[in-house]
Amino acid sequence: MLEVTDLTVAYGTVVALHGISLTVADSSITAVLGANGAGKTTLVRTISGLTRPRGGSVRLDGRDITRLAPEEIARLGVAHVPQGQGVLAELTVDENLRLGGLWRRDPKGQRGALAEAYELFPPLASRRHLAAFSLSGGERQMLSVGRALVARPRMLLLDEPSLGLARRALIQIMARIKTLVAERGLAVLLIEQNAKSALSVADDAMVLHLGKVVAQGRAHQLLSEEGLRHAYLGF
Amino acid sequence: MSRFLVLTLNGLTQGAIYAAMALALVMIWRATRIINFAQGAMAMFTTYLALFAVDHGAPYWAGFVVALSSGLLLGAIVERVIVRPVETAPPLNVVILTLGLLLFLEALAPMAFGGQIRSFPPAFSIVGLHLGNSQVAFSPFDAFTLGSVLAVMVLLLLLFQKTNLGLRMRASAFNPEVSRLLGIRVGRMLTLGWALASLVGALAGVLIAPSLLLYPTFMDQVLVFGFTGAVLGGLDSAVGAVVGGLLIGFALSFVGGYLGSDLETVGALVILIAVLMVRPRGLFSLQRLRQV
Repeated sequence: MLEVTDLTVAYGTVVALHGISLTVADSSITAVLGANGAGKTTLVRTISGLTRPRGGSVRLDGRDITRLAPEEIARLGVAHVPQGQGVLAELTVDENLRLGGLWRRDPKGQRGALAEAYELFPPLASRRHLAAFSLSGGERQMLSVGRALVARPRMLLLDEPSLGLARRALIQIMARIKTLVAERGLAVLLIEQNAKSALSVADDAMVLHLGKVVAQGRAHQLLSEEGLRHAYLGF
Repeated sequence: MSRFLVLTLNGLTQGAIYAAMALALVMIWRATRIINFAQGAMAMFTTYLALFAVDHGAPYWAGFVVALSSGLLLGAIVERVIVRPVETAPPLNVVILTLGLLLFLEALAPMAFGGQIRSFPPAFSIVGLHLGNSQVAFSPFDAFTLGSVLAVMVLLLLLFQKTNLGLRMRASAFNPEVSRLLGIRVGRMLTLGWALASLVGALAGVLIAPSLLLYPTFMDQVLVFGFTGAVLGGLDSAVGAVVGGLLIGFALSFVGGYLGSDLETVGALVILIAVLMVRPRGLFSLQRLRQV
């Protein structure tokens, strides 16, 4: 379980997040919605340790991880799929995938996880030994997500997975993630601009606007609030 | 034996050493986008340490091991103590720090080891081998020089391409932020990268010391030639560094042999300018691919 309490982040004098609190329970998907510049990416970057908060705390299963280095947070099983540029373009597809779970030091388990990733994303299997820069945008996104899953994470931070991805591939990825949520207790924080599709898979949701929480609750409730949808979600 | 062949063999041996220097520079450039101008001075210092051991009765091979292991250690220390604190500063700051380190080491060496020019023992005879009745311009020590540079390069290649540690190091060099998200302790990888680069530089130092003689600035020109080789190879490519270093070795050997040895340094300058004008990316650079 991830608990974010009163998180405040500032870049110089510009405050990007104003006292955000949020909980992501195990076996659940929480969507964070909002327009560009709402602070969504800042929120996941702070959770994974890339950005230092000015105040507040992040706890994973009760343990305070607010000041931990990103690599140590990753080693606790938090996999962050960054927006856009997540693949290591100079390395091969196979090397990218292997890197996902190297920290586990469990070669046997990792071979299985690798095979699963290739099964889930057949386009990657046929490009296994090509450098990742030769992949299309959608394939790169598959690689990013696949690599995060190879780590067999307990917490997945997805920053706009729909970016550059064909609708069919996105549905496939989300189906796989829902399975992991149900079967392995995976907790997911899903950042999306496309609110409609995110709310359709999420259990809980939160809407950010200029670094503040403007709505928070069960996903289906937010879906039914027409005023909110018109004001912040654009559908 | 024809003059051409003599110069070619000489160029090959010298080139192997420049290749090692170029590789050391490229390893650090790739990982941190820094040109380590102290690379030569660090190798000078470790060569002095080797001589110090030999002076105190240690056999040559113990001195050789002292050079390589102190190189490894010195690289790690430099990364931790000098580079790490200014990690987030613009790369130029770090480059200037490496220049400071160069001056520091070249001032420290005469204080620690005396300022006079010293000879450094070779591992094997430097007298040319006999083939039938004729003597060739290739000595057992030349063979050792080539062999040990080749061995280190093959080992590094295996490390980077075939091991998980090497994979982590490459990932850290290409994209530290994403690497950290994958649980890679990038800081350790950087320290190790500096240590290995410094080891390769230290190897160049002990290999060239017998022919150059040892004094506090004796590696300066090796650094310049190695750097020229690295630029020729494209700075971004390990293979390019090796090929570039060898080409510089050949070129300088021919310039020295046919035009006069005073012109060697000028020759390197001409090559450097020519590369930067004609093909600034170098022969093997990945730059174009990276922009895709």
